[in-house]
Amino acid sequence: MARRIYLGEMELMVLLAVVRLGDEAYGVPISKELLILAGREVALGSIYAALDRLQQKSFVTSLLGDPTPERGGRAKRYFRVTPTGVRALKMTRTALTNLWSGIPLLEGRRS
Amino acid sequence: MSGKKSNPPRLAIWWLRHACPGSDNDALAGDLIERFREGQTRGWFWMQVLIAFAVGALGEIRLHWPHFCYAIAGSSVIALSGGTAMPAILWKSVQGAGFWLHWWTLPWPLSQLVLELGPTALLALAALPVLAAGLAINRAFRWVSLLRTGVINLALITLGHISLDFLPWLYRPVPGDPDSRDLIISGGVQVLLFFSTFLAAAWLGCLSPRHTDEYERQAVHARLIP
Repeated sequence: MARRIYLGEMELMVLLAVVRLGDEAYGVPISKELLILAGREVALGSIYAALDRLQQKSFVTSLLGDPTPERGGRAKRYFRVTPTGVRALKMTRTALTNLWSGIPLLEGRRS
Repeated sequence: MSGKKSNPPRLAIWWLRHACPGSDNDALAGDLIERFREGQTRGWFWMQVLIAFAVGALGEIRLHWPHFCYAIAGSSVIALSGGTAMPAILWKSVQGAGFWLHWWTLPWPLSQLVLELGPTALLALAALPVLAAGLAINRAFRWVSLLRTGVINLALITLGHISLDFLPWLYRPVPGDPDSRDLIISGGVQVLLFFSTFLAAAWLGCLSPRHTDEYERQAVHARLIP
């Protein structure tokens, strides 16, 4: 039986935030991006859980930066989207666009 | 800002680093400290740590759901087979095991071993099919996992059973029956202890999640890369 591959809503939003942030994608900017652009205040623990799932699926990779005193001597964990992750995003967009199209109610037209 | 106010709660950081499940809680702690120093409150910090703990715990259950099913099945078997009083369960099991194994005809210490291990073996084996089904659904089934889990469970339950002999203060006399003793631990706590034992055995006995993750990664690649 083939395992279902899909992006959940949180995974999709976090992955898009990682793509948008580029080289500056770590926990704090990702949470701010979700708050500003999606209007969602998401706990950092939930963001890391989503990022862990994305990493398990090979949609992102991560690497540790240098420890800084502002963070109590702890390093930032930077995330970067992989080609597999980009492909998953495109597949999700195609699926959502297909589902979205042809529905007059959602396009502001009367049926 | 005073020194105490500029420092995040130490206990919360300790909790995050040592008690929260998660792959990289150090980076998360750094992020929380960064946000705290940007002006967030201690209450916010604690709330974030508690959410991280809850999310991590749920993630562990999601990842190891066959183990939890096994523990629930095992402790349910115990709870449903003659109430929750451990001596009664063990005695019933001994009778059952003795019938099949004829332990009383064996030379000592083999008879003693069968006496001690017979009921525990029955308890440990009863829920193994549930674990086997869960692992099969998760595509992580291996006979060695089942064998290891069974042996570890057997050892843990036997150890717990034998250790009760060294803790006489855990027993109280049964009124009206001078030959019987009853555990002072409530039935619910006993079932909870069995649940923990089954869970620990499955956790130790089964393969590391790395195997499952690797399989999942391969499945993702197979689906996405033509």
